[in-house]
Amino acid sequence: MSTSEALAAAQAARDAAANIEIPQEARDRARELAWEDGLIELALQQGHSLAEVWQALRGNIDGATAKQFLAGGGSIARPDFWWMKVPTEWGIKARASDPEMGLTIGDLNIGTYGDIPDVWYNRSEIARGSFPTPTVEDMGYTIYDKALIWADCCVPLYEVAIRDRWVSSTDLRWNSLEPLPDDIEKAVCQLMTEQSERAYYQGALLSGWLPEISYGYLELKLFLSTVIYDVARHAEAFRKRALSNGGGLGLQAPTDYNRVLQECRTFPELLATMFVQDSMLLTLFKNGDKIAQNQLERDMYALCARDRQRIMDYQIERMKHFLWKLPDRRDEQNLYFGKAEARMVKEWGDSVVWEPLAILLGGGKDRMDSGKAKLQGLRKQQVQDYVANLEKATFFRSNLNARFKDLIGG
Amino acid sequence: MAANPTIEPGLDLSWLNLYDEPATATPGKKGLTLKEINAGRYSDAARGGGDMTYRMRGAVARPGAHRFGPNYMSKSDVWSENCIMLYEEATQRQWASARDIPWDTLQPLPDEIERAMCQLCTMLTEVEFIAGDVPGQWLPFISAQDFEAGLFLMSQIMDEARHTDVFRKRALVNGGGLLAQGAGLGLRTLLEARDFTEMSVLMHVQAEGFVQSMFRMGELIGQTEADKRIFRMSAQDESRHLAFGVMHLKYVLDTDPDRAEEIHHYLDKAEGDASGGGSGDVTFPPVFESLCILLGGGVEKFDEGVQKFLLLRKRQINEYAHRLDVAGLNRRNRFGPLMAQFVDPV
Repeated sequence: MSTSEALAAAQAARDAAANIEIPQEARDRARELAWEDGLIELALQQGHSLAEVWQALRGNIDGATAKQFLAGGGSIARPDFWWMKVPTEWGIKARASDPEMGLTIGDLNIGTYGDIPDVWYNRSEIARGSFPTPTVEDMGYTIYDKALIWADCCVPLYEVAIRDRWVSSTDLRWNSLEPLPDDIEKAVCQLMTEQSERAYYQGALLSGWLPEISYGYLELKLFLSTVIYDVARHAEAFRKRALSNGGGLGLQAPTDYNRVLQECRTFPELLATMFVQDSMLLTLFKNGDKIAQNQLERDMYALCARDRQRIMDYQIERMKHFLWKLPDRRDEQNLYFGKAEARMVKEWGDSVVWEPLAILLGGGKDRMDSGKAKLQGLRKQQVQDYVANLEKATFFRSNLNARFKDLIGG
Repeated sequence: MAANPTIEPGLDLSWLNLYDEPATATPGKKGLTLKEINAGRYSDAARGGGDMTYRMRGAVARPGAHRFGPNYMSKSDVWSENCIMLYEEATQRQWASARDIPWDTLQPLPDEIERAMCQLCTMLTEVEFIAGDVPGQWLPFISAQDFEAGLFLMSQIMDEARHTDVFRKRALVNGGGLLAQGAGLGLRTLLEARDFTEMSVLMHVQAEGFVQSMFRMGELIGQTEADKRIFRMSAQDESRHLAFGVMHLKYVLDTDPDRAEEIHHYLDKAEGDASGGGSGDVTFPPVFESLCILLGGGVEKFDEGVQKFLLLRKRQINEYAHRLDVAGLNRRNRFGPLMAQFVDPV
């Protein structure tokens, strides 16, 4: 570069610097770091960009260092890379324990990274195992106790959920659908209307609780994300079935049960209340062959049952862990189960809930007696499974809803 | 007295008379998607008023249904014209960090490079964690009349879970570990939003836009084939989230242009905070420095890395400006100096 070119470049840099508006935030930060007045302007005149100046300020370069650097005409101040030296556990080489599953989140739980504490104290979004910043804003989480939410199975279930994902648009054979008798098609559609709404609501409801759970229980949040995604798929698959074979959507689902979920004040209460429906729906879908009218529906119910089994596995283990850790809260759970069962009984008595099932089980509205008898059998099995699931969770219901007791002859 | 086990009362069957418009959606080239069933009285175009009950669009209202608390009654508050397509794309393009990343191809890296990659991953797993919470926070406020927008956000929650896990996996798989927390990234801004559009503009358009621009430079940042694949796969997901946000903003501005200044106001605040705001604020020193090491190819080439970082920043800001243009929000003259310095003339 010739002298005249260098002078022209320097003048251009000064002109450009004169046109740059220096943010007040940068000036304030410079003062905090004892930068002399005019040092930012000097940096700009030397051709440094505002971004570089900002990086220096954010990198805590003090005024003396900055002045010395600019006097020397150097290029860019070299940071000290303090973050390379933080005392976290280093040298981790996670490996897939099961080659079929690949590298799972369970495989990461080694050394200190596998410490899932009983109580998580950090109120920020810090990743478990990383080095905390001393002063951070509270992110507003409310759930910091492992006993309230944790189940060890959420770790493998997350990866299983991803492995078992399915796509309603292409994994179900929509072209195989054949027209059904009018009453049967309408019964299918009414059931689909109800189940679509229940699934969508459950997804929206659980989503709203995610921001309450702190990072200490990362794996649980990941698992809940798969649950939310699963029920989203159920909602759309059921809707698609209702709108693809000459029917449509019917009457919206009853709101009694969902409303009691909405009223829950804490996440453990929500899970206990949701336990009842999660169990009942699992049994319903496991019995999908009895209500399905074609192969598509059999496949759809089987896929939904597989998804719901994961939810139930979590529910059972979570409840068992909760009761083991917090035995004083055992009786309290009866209150939530009692409330949920009462709402369930009410909804089971709703004609728009039970009649479609009776038509499907019986084979038409002209065979309602047969359908009702079969529905009694299904309801009995649902309650038996529910009680058995509670027992697996070490919970023995002392005051099971009277109608449920009648159903199982208890 | 023997208990009567019958729960069901007498027959009604009046619900059989509710079907006045037979729906016969048939699969298209991509199977039976939400697009095929978005027809007639069930379509988003036929949306009625919201009712706060979670009644799915097109279902017949149940007398006596409970309300569930306030949600958005107006479609424009949450809708994006591409949400139907984006949800289906999300279901087709799910991937598994456990098996779709070639973990076994990773080789030991120089210590400074491994540390830089681990620092970047520490920040990214933290960012993605919040990116799942933010849409979660808003789902209860989306009316079931606009359920496709809700379904899309549920798919986003799944995407963000996968991103949270994949960056954690990367940090813990190659002889490294997690490093310094990324506090100072402005993530709380995203949770502080008090309106869906505010959230969407800050998260989908700004923050995820910045992250997307970074992921698209993954070929330069990634040091191994596994790293590059992580960035490619994650970028694919991010582009859906970004597309939702851009088209939501466009829908808002098309249907309610009076909101433009309000939206500018949110962005004024976010951009005025440091040099970018939101989770894309890569000026936080550990993030900036680790990126420069990765882009340059080592501590010794840090200066070269800074130049590439400035290119990345330029790309982030210009793509951001372009996306806002596409949505119908011209902010080029409103950028603060820390951003304005990077903007190319139109």
